Amino acid sequence: MINDKGLKQDLKLELDIKLQANFDHFNLTVSQKINSAGITGIFGHSGSGKSSLLRIIAGLEKNHVNGNITFNQRELLNTKTQLFVPPEQRNIGLVFQNSRLFPHLSVRQNLEFAQKCLIKSNQNKNSTLNIDDIIALTQLTPLLAKQTSQLSGGEQQRVALARAILAEPKLLLLDEPLSALDKHSKANMLALIVTVQQQLNIPILYVSHSLAELQQVASELLILANGTVVDYGDVHQVIHRLNHAQQHNKAQLISPQTSLALPIFAHNEQHALTQLALSDSQSIYLPLLSSNDNETSSSNYPVGAMLRCYIFADDISLSLTEPSNSSIVNHLLGQISTIEKFGEYSALITISCSEHSFFAQISLMSQQKLQLEVGKNIYIQFKASAIKTLANSSLVNTNNRHISSTLFQNQQAPIEE
Amino acid sequence: MALSTLSSITTNGDLLALITTLKMAALSTVILLLIGTPLAWWLAKMQSRAKVFIEAIVALPIILPPTVLGFYLLIAFAPQSAFGQLWQQITGSQLAFSFSAIVLGSVLYSLPFVVQPLQRAFEQLGNSYLEAAAMLGAKPLDSFFSIVVPMTKASFITATSLGFAHTVGEFGIVLMIGGNIPDETRVLSIALFDHVEAFQYGQAHLLAAGLLIGSFILLSLIYLLNHVRGDQHVVGKNHD
Repeated sequence: MINDKGLKQDLKLELDIKLQANFDHFNLTVSQKINSAGITGIFGHSGSGKSSLLRIIAGLEKNHVNGNITFNQRELLNTKTQLFVPPEQRNIGLVFQNSRLFPHLSVRQNLEFAQKCLIKSNQNKNSTLNIDDIIALTQLTPLLAKQTSQLSGGEQQRVALARAILAEPKLLLLDEPLSALDKHSKANMLALIVTVQQQLNIPILYVSHSLAELQQVASELLILANGTVVDYGDVHQVIHRLNHAQQHNKAQLISPQTSLALPIFAHNEQHALTQLALSDSQSIYLPLLSSNDNETSSSNYPVGAMLRCYIFADDISLSLTEPSNSSIVNHLLGQISTIEKFGEYSALITISCSEHSFFAQISLMSQQKLQLEVGKNIYIQFKASAIKTLANSSLVNTNNRHISSTLFQNQQAPIEE
Repeated sequence: MALSTLSSITTNGDLLALITTLKMAALSTVILLLIGTPLAWWLAKMQSRAKVFIEAIVALPIILPPTVLGFYLLIAFAPQSAFGQLWQQITGSQLAFSFSAIVLGSVLYSLPFVVQPLQRAFEQLGNSYLEAAAMLGAKPLDSFFSIVVPMTKASFITATSLGFAHTVGEFGIVLMIGGNIPDETRVLSIALFDHVEAFQYGQAHLLAAGLLIGSFILLSLIYLLNHVRGDQHVVGKNHD
């Protein structure tokens, strides 16, 4: 039990943002409604304005900001009526990139600080969360007596997350929470963020420059580039739309990829493969979702559970005939739905397979050789290891691996916010 | 002071001067902390170009001969002046040559010694921890006392000790605005001056050595404390 009312306190997020901010050498113009009960990812490269947007929502940026922000019918900012709710009265939590734990307090005292603030701010109401439950949830018990300087980066972020939760925010902001962590801590922290969201039902805005992170956890995605919103919507649909950016003469923000959420059908220990159901008749296989690592063992991936995964477009190849004598595990029959030029020497082919879109990046030479055209039936094939997911060690930061700098046509030199 | 005065009486006079000095320094230090802390905070957070001028004004007593400050204060505190009259109306007593006058003078004179270490500490601390506290719902004053003060404790100790020590050691201003009234404005440094003028080198030695050793011990304690603690939290690795 996490709180009095049972496990969940049904929190919804209705955030209405209309603002213009003029910082030095950088403008941010956002007019966007964000409605979500889950995790909303905010993706953008350095200098896109994503962190500034988060700080404005938090109330940490006041100067040079014009417009209004309404959060669940409560006005937080209205520059016309000169309304500005200070950050401590917004009921919004923020986990910073660099934990910002108070160094003169122990881990437990850091957590208690948040609870004291909460009790002070609503005099007659006690906190609904039990500190020991949150400590258990975030696995902090062995660290409680430690000084914050003795903690590893991953531990610090876990404390920061627990501390933010204990202030019982109605909205939790995460500003690049994994960027200072090593690969192993990243996977654990990401899993913890999902658990926290599911257990406590706090709406989360998650800012990151890593699409891989957001693809794993976000239900919606907001894309920022050069201080403006490029897209907003369902995470898979947005990623797929971003694949086509060049078609619309926009900057290519991501490496083209297929984003999927599929139910786990079976774990095949013998062949060390996990089978995902693409449809009633078609499956795809990836390396078995279990490892020696207890924290990401297959027990976290029961049959029937949904798995988020993605496949880079240049990891998918095409064949006109069924590849029966190939070492490649996955091959699916589909139909070409679009063909577009990608960069100078390659083409991006969209293939529809069991009502899923797959994206393959092939050379123009291959495209001509196979005489590909829209409507044609084709086999797509990719290795089991091409399927990337949280449990898969190759998850982290491989996302932008093939974007050449020339593709960032509209990207200005990065400004660190 | 007559040469024939018995040494026991002089010692009593010196004791009285010591008590006056400690009273003045303690009261000044309390007022300095009450004024200096918000002033240092304001300066640390200030982004206006006017900041340098205010910093310069605060720092003036460091380089100005105390007699310059004393001269202006003497004029301001005089019963004929507007400020002097206002003081008389409110308190019912004259300001010039009073204990209150030397406390006011000390506060101005020692201000930079309190404001500067605090301002530096607040600047080094930055906003990151305050932002973190605000995002947890802490009110600004709560954050100040539960985050800023403990994290800049060493600088508060330095500011307090320097303010106190500097006030004990002042001479020029007290001479100008305090006169030399036993049990009211006669402090140790003035008593020492009197002894020298009266060729009472024995007592002069006693006071001079006492002030020297006392100041040395106080300063050693400050530096020792700063070495042990550092402002370790302020420049700690957690900083942005």
